[in-house]
Amino acid sequence: MRNMLRTALLLASLGVTGQAIAQDSDETLKVGMSGGYFPFTFVEQDKLKGFEVDVMDAVAERLGIDVEYATANFSGLFGMLGSGRIDTIANQITITDERQQKYAFTQPYVYDGAQVVVKRGNDDIAGVEDLRGKTVAVNLGSNYEQLLRELPYSDEIDIRTYESNIEQDTALGRVDAFVMDRVSASQVIKEKPLPLELAGEPFSEIRNALPFRDDEEGRKMRDRVDQALNELREDGVLGKISQEWFGSDITQP
Amino acid sequence: MNALDIDYMLGLMPILLSYLPLTLEMAAAGMVLALILACLMAVVRVLKIPGLNALTLLFISFFRGTPLLVQLFLFYYGLPQLMSALTQINGVTATIMGLTLHFSAYMAESIRAAIVGIDRSQTDAALSIGMTRGQTMRRVVLPQATRVAVPTLMNYFIDMIKATSLAFTLGVTELMGATQKEAAGSFLYFEAFISVALIYWGVVELLAWLQRSLETRLNKAYQR
Repeated sequence: MRNMLRTALLLASLGVTGQAIAQDSDETLKVGMSGGYFPFTFVEQDKLKGFEVDVMDAVAERLGIDVEYATANFSGLFGMLGSGRIDTIANQITITDERQQKYAFTQPYVYDGAQVVVKRGNDDIAGVEDLRGKTVAVNLGSNYEQLLRELPYSDEIDIRTYESNIEQDTALGRVDAFVMDRVSASQVIKEKPLPLELAGEPFSEIRNALPFRDDEEGRKMRDRVDQALNELREDGVLGKISQEWFGSDITQP
Repeated sequence: MNALDIDYMLGLMPILLSYLPLTLEMAAAGMVLALILACLMAVVRVLKIPGLNALTLLFISFFRGTPLLVQLFLFYYGLPQLMSALTQINGVTATIMGLTLHFSAYMAESIRAAIVGIDRSQTDAALSIGMTRGQTMRRVVLPQATRVAVPTLMNYFIDMIKATSLAFTLGVTELMGATQKEAAGSFLYFEAFISVALIYWGVVELLAWLQRSLETRLNKAYQR
């Protein structure tokens, strides 16, 4: 099914941008991702997959350029972007004030919320307001740590920052909860053999986009990718990819 | 929780093993370069060559005194900020550079110890029959020092193989990076990490066996 869709997308975009492909086929968009964020970017049987991969493939096809993926630990991705080793990061990067000062973002292509997740059967925590006095795991370099620190009672929360595997440590009961985006949290619970459940409603809207270096070249590429995202949104391609992975359209506010 | 998923592990092993060559290549390249650098520094330290000796001391102090991960981040992400030409350095090269500099600092000291440990009277004897200092080093001291240094140097090589697992922070998908990504796709953490642990362990055991046979060979002259 997924392959059929991909072929259809490929054929459709070939029809529209055949000329563009002929013009600058030697250009390459270098995209960084962690490869460790199910179902956005992950590896199965040595093959990089996920929502981000499908979106960036579609963007590159629309622009008629090649796309090349580089995977690194999340904490290394912004370093790779800053030092010019990649052009952008497709890893559900949330737009924040600090990041906006430093990077040129495209339009958001995912709208989501921050979600508290607990071990199944943990009735103590029914939402973000119950995190007082609890140990909460977040991913290093993600914006969820900051979201938690902005809560009025943040000094009562024991925030633990992880490089990876926060789902596993919550399932093991080593921490009381973790905070992640609602979409991938639901997906993890649905598809993976870990005893976890959502605790309450999402507590903050987050908008995710692609960051580029804020220089002339970076902004130029940003504008082109932005245009491609516009077209993919209008053609319903973004929505289709989202339906494929999530059964709902997370690309609309 | 769930029972061990043996089928998943069996399927994962060949995939992970395909990343082993890169891990070993980085460690081997790092080891060869570190050995050369360490020998040079050890000789500088033993002969107390003015100027170079102080420089070597500073080098050893820094690279032994800071974590390897910090050094890797410095080379890969930090330096290109100062000199944009350094962006050309890829992750594999940066890892080999980091391993070389970091481990050469340790190895220089253990090689120096091995050289100093060779009885002073041997040097005196060699000099008395008219060998130059260089000849004495090459023909008398270093061959004996090698035998003393081999076990500790092998130890560093083993450590270096495992240290390559930091390369994924520089975007190099080596053995550990491949495992982390596969674990993220399956959420079978235990299966994935026990698989990779077995691979590292197997490689190190093989090396330990090599070390034993190498030591036996080097010790031949001393057996009666």
